[in-house]
Amino acid sequence: MATDPTVLEDLAPVIAFLQYVMNGLAAGSLYALVALGIVLLYRCSRVLNFAHGELATLGVFLAFSGLSRGWPYPLALATGLAGAAVVSGALYWILVRPVRQGTALGVLITTLGCALFLSGLVVWAWGTDTKVFPFPLSETRVFRLGGVVVSELTAGSLAVALALVAGLSFVVQKTILGLAMRAVAQNPTAAQLLGVPTGRVLAATWAVAGALGAAAGMLLAPAVLLDPFMMLDPFLKGFAAAVLGGLESLPGAVVGGVVLGVAESLFAGYVSIKYKATLSFVVIVGVLLVRPEGVLGRPFHRRV
Amino acid sequence: MRSVLGMCTVLLLALSWAGAAQERGITPEEVVIGTSMPLSGPAAYWGAVGRGMEAYARYLNDQGGIHGRRLRVVLRDDGYLPPRAVANVRELVERVGVFAIVGLIGTANAFAVRDYIVRNEVVWISPTADASIWYGFRQKKYLFVTYPSYVEEAKILVDYAAKQMQAKTIAVFYQNDLYGQKGLVGAKQGAMRSRVRIVAQIPYEVTQTDVSSEAVKLRESRAEAVLLYATPRHGALIVREMAKIGYTPKLLSSFTLGDPIMFTLAGEAWNGVVSTGFFPLPGTGDGRVDEALATLTRIDPTLRANPYNALAGWAFMEPFVEGLRRAGRDLTKERFVAAMEGLRNWDGQVIRGVTFGPDRRQGINRLFLTRAEGGRYVRLTDWISYPVGF
Repeated sequence: MATDPTVLEDLAPVIAFLQYVMNGLAAGSLYALVALGIVLLYRCSRVLNFAHGELATLGVFLAFSGLSRGWPYPLALATGLAGAAVVSGALYWILVRPVRQGTALGVLITTLGCALFLSGLVVWAWGTDTKVFPFPLSETRVFRLGGVVVSELTAGSLAVALALVAGLSFVVQKTILGLAMRAVAQNPTAAQLLGVPTGRVLAATWAVAGALGAAAGMLLAPAVLLDPFMMLDPFLKGFAAAVLGGLESLPGAVVGGVVLGVAESLFAGYVSIKYKATLSFVVIVGVLLVRPEGVLGRPFHRRV
Repeated sequence: MRSVLGMCTVLLLALSWAGAAQERGITPEEVVIGTSMPLSGPAAYWGAVGRGMEAYARYLNDQGGIHGRRLRVVLRDDGYLPPRAVANVRELVERVGVFAIVGLIGTANAFAVRDYIVRNEVVWISPTADASIWYGFRQKKYLFVTYPSYVEEAKILVDYAAKQMQAKTIAVFYQNDLYGQKGLVGAKQGAMRSRVRIVAQIPYEVTQTDVSSEAVKLRESRAEAVLLYATPRHGALIVREMAKIGYTPKLLSSFTLGDPIMFTLAGEAWNGVVSTGFFPLPGTGDGRVDEALATLTRIDPTLRANPYNALAGWAFMEPFVEGLRRAGRDLTKERFVAAMEGLRNWDGQVIRGVTFGPDRRQGINRLFLTRAEGGRYVRLTDWISYPVGF
């Protein structure tokens, strides 16, 4: 890519703009992955899982332990994903399922408690030191497209995020499990009457969501360094993305994540960098005021 | 109802009066000290200071304590949130009943608990907070500060950037709380003095994980030097992010980033960073500091991952322990204060050159500059003093 320096000089504002968009896409794809997990659970079980971020962190730390023991990447990363899936499924089976009979608030508080417990567990097992998460893709090796810089890791994350979204939509649309998930989401009682093992389907859904979160965490950790609290901010952003896209809509989660990522980056670049962190909260409030079902969600109809 | 309340109040008053007769937090067997710091949340990395304090106390206790009294350190987690720091300190003073608060991390947190501690006349040693929050503040009888001033530090760093690095433009990347803001204030004052221009002030929130837009902003400013007031994690992230997009200014950082962990977190990009120190860094040829670190890691091997903060824990405790030694067997708050006021250019094993007096509560007013070279810090200058502020 031959570029004349003077041309680059003239194009500096354009390049900066594209760089902001690129950075936004990179962040947004991870928000989307987090949002997907949140939406998947909410659609099927009507539970907002506040432990989603901590489950993801646990998965990343499990993978980290494998890597520090010299395991090959596929094994370590798969262990992390499986670990998060198992814990997430178990969380549903052991804690959320019994509590679900009670109030929505009870379930919410249960997941909050789980979040605190898991976070304490990670601190206890791995300490609070910031760690470098080894990863096959490098954050410092970069491609230059014109003047826009994309790291290997960013490009890889985007690709993996896309693949996961495609994979998830395949599972939900084309498989028996997906059919069962949709049935349970639509009408749990009817599904159960027709012989769908609702409990097991929901546990499987939780497991898939947990693995999705862990995948997001593993793509995030090499870029932002690993510590027990690294998912706090991405979880909030993922939540905002889910609200933006519509808590009921899987494509909405992806759109919400990407839109939020790019909006945040452009906001930081051209409006105010100081209030960048606030934007996602403004988005939550704004969406709930104007279009509570989210951009791609179906409007709520209450039938008597 | 009202009379019951009244009686309770009288009873409480009577009890607290009775308690005051005996010094809070001191028994013939032990001295209780408390501190609050981030053991969870985005700044939890700094919590190693607390484990360093505990390990140091264990080391002293293994040798029989101070005048036969064992030191008991009560750590409370505030998640780096000022409201929780306030709750913690109240609990430490009113329920645990500590003799003194030692350390207490975070300028914003220290600022939040300042009035409470001072009003209740609690002994407070080495608040881990920008020293400039004490300028002009009265009622400092029980306060002894050994922590440097970020404002003065930033001035020294900007001076260095202007004179030794020939930078004409500077950008500041700072944490958007009292810690980073004090650094920014100092940078502005330094810029005025050294005739350099601050071309960008880029804040970040401590909860933030992605700093890529901040890096682009810094690059757009084209500053020749960038000054960092951040957590180790955010410092590492911004330096990596800037290097990634091909922006490699000269780098300067607060001593809070003068931690060897930075070479692991930021990698190659950290070499060349000019920073400061207020005690000799481990592995730079000071045998006594290396020995202290060996002691700490023997007691708590997990501190190996965080040597700098472990030593900082030792450094914050050390003047307090010296005060206890000098105050003698019949320890009271007043005797302790008198003993502390007697410290003149006192060298501990880690902290050096501490001076207090009847009118002096800023125990240390000097720093030295370091440069990161080939994966380690090299001392660049002798001590650089700044005026004693209080």
